[in-house]
Amino acid sequence: MVTAPSTGSLPVADWVDPRLLRSDPYPIYARLRQEAPVAAVPAINKVLLTSFAGCVYAEQHPEVFSSVVEGANLNRALGGVSLIRKNDPEHATERAAVNPTLRPSQVTQVWSDRFRRNTEQALDVLAAAGDRADLNRDFARPLAAKNLMDLVGIRDVPVETFARWSADFIAGAGNVLDDAEIWARCTSSRVEAESAVDTSLAYLQRHPDESMISLFVAAGMPVESIRANILLTISGGVNEPQHMITAMVYLLSQHPERRPASLDAGAWRRVFDEAVRLYTPIAMVTRQTVRDVVLEGAAIPAGSQIGIMLASANRDPAVYDAPDDFEPDRTERRHLGFGAGTHLCAGKWVAEASVAGIGVPMLYERFPAIRPDPIGDVHWEGFAFRGITRFPARLA
Amino acid sequence: MVKVTLVQADGSSAVVSVEPGQSLMRAAVLAGVPGIVAECGGQAMCATCHVYVREDHLDALPVMGDEEEEMLEVVASERRPGSRLSCQLVGLADDVVGDVPPSQI
Ligand code: HEM
Ligand code: FES
Repeated sequence: MVTAPSTGSLPVADWVDPRLLRSDPYPIYARLRQEAPVAAVPAINKVLLTSFAGCVYAEQHPEVFSSVVEGANLNRALGGVSLIRKNDPEHATERAAVNPTLRPSQVTQVWSDRFRRNTEQALDVLAAAGDRADLNRDFARPLAAKNLMDLVGIRDVPVETFARWSADFIAGAGNVLDDAEIWARCTSSRVEAESAVDTSLAYLQRHPDESMISLFVAAGMPVESIRANILLTISGGVNEPQHMITAMVYLLSQHPERRPASLDAGAWRRVFDEAVRLYTPIAMVTRQTVRDVVLEGAAIPAGSQIGIMLASANRDPAVYDAPDDFEPDRTERRHLGFGAGTHLCAGKWVAEASVAGIGVPMLYERFPAIRPDPIGDVHWEGFAFRGITRFPARLA
Repeated sequence: MVKVTLVQADGSSAVVSVEPGQSLMRAAVLAGVPGIVAECGGQAMCATCHVYVREDHLDALPVMGDEEEEMLEVVASERRPGSRLSCQLVGLADDVVGDVPPSQI
């Protein structure tokens, strides 16, 4: 991999069909990796990087692959520029404000008890749904939303409303086809969310705590930036843990012999990481090149929008044996499901604790037989953000 | 500028030059030293830039901050007396020798 002046050309993958990317992206990634791991994809107007090496290279060279992206859907969805769309040093200053509450020891000391309480409540909701239970709607989604409400410091909002904001922001951020109805939903959720952030902000100014809003306030961050960063966190912090709860149960119901003993924390973590690798919920992160660059022999012009395909890197046969298999004990433990480099997911430890440490083990403790309902249909959806949207479940 | 020798489990080693104001992690990553994963890019958030600094070189190190202390609790290879996060090693007072742990993840 060189970054010399451009000499080669840029392959064009005009065969990529965006509808297939939404329904079954993995064969498309496999073909891209094989034929053109750096390729312009006209259907979505981006240059896609699909090999592990190419994705890592882009993540680790922010001076070329900038997070400042023109016309970014994410900025439009959030109504402002959040830290994920900034480069260091501006990005680092904003992240440094919240990192302290997101490190593992703080997660254990401050947040784990709340996550446990929230999980107990969510399990009661699931139990009440009985025969009509949907693991996504009745457990994963409300649990992920309540955990995140506590973490960011928003109260007095129904959990269902908060979960809807997250889904609407994600839909806006991934609105590659510019659907007007999606933008309308996104805008109305944004107005509601901003007003909730403002309410919390006023309260937390007088009663500081460990929540993210409170730490942003203490760091003296301007209100517009606090709003954008909290809305960013609401987008990524609900959908992704939600998708990983359902993905873990989906995988373990296909491989019941791999279910860890309830107290084997290390084994639960390995199942979680393997689920993040196989069903990478943030499939794509976006960058823009600030100059011409040659990557894996392909010449990418300055000003190109880049899709770093984490979901493809995580199944690269150059890195993983039997990459499409579920193998929690595989020797290669590294994956790109949380990104890499300075934008590495801020909520990595929170997600691991709330999903792998608490949420899913407690679910199996209460409902050891939980599985997909054989008559229902587990439904997957999404390209840039992908996960299970319907999971009819049998509790016993 | 100081020189840091990083020794791998198989006995091979690399010498990296660390500029003033640069972290040992950054210098090691730029030099392509295997085993310094540095997933979070130096924010003391990932604990994948762990090194064992040899005992007779500990005096050359900056004092450990709270974040580093916290993150050393979750390193993948066992924590030992010379354990440090290389992204927090800025401003080394002298040349240093350290070992790269067997795993970072
Ligand atoms: C399994 C669950 C999760 C996955 C797979 C995930 C994945 C990711 C990925 C891939 C990125 C982008 C990294 C990049 O651009 O290189 C990211 C960024 C981010 N995530 Fe997560 N995430 C998860 C849960 C959470 C949670 C629970 C929070 C709550 C705090 C969160 C907050 C953030 C924030 C604030 C960023 C922006 C970081 C930055 O730009 O510095 N995420 N996440
Ligand atoms: S690079 Fe992540 S802790 Fe040092």
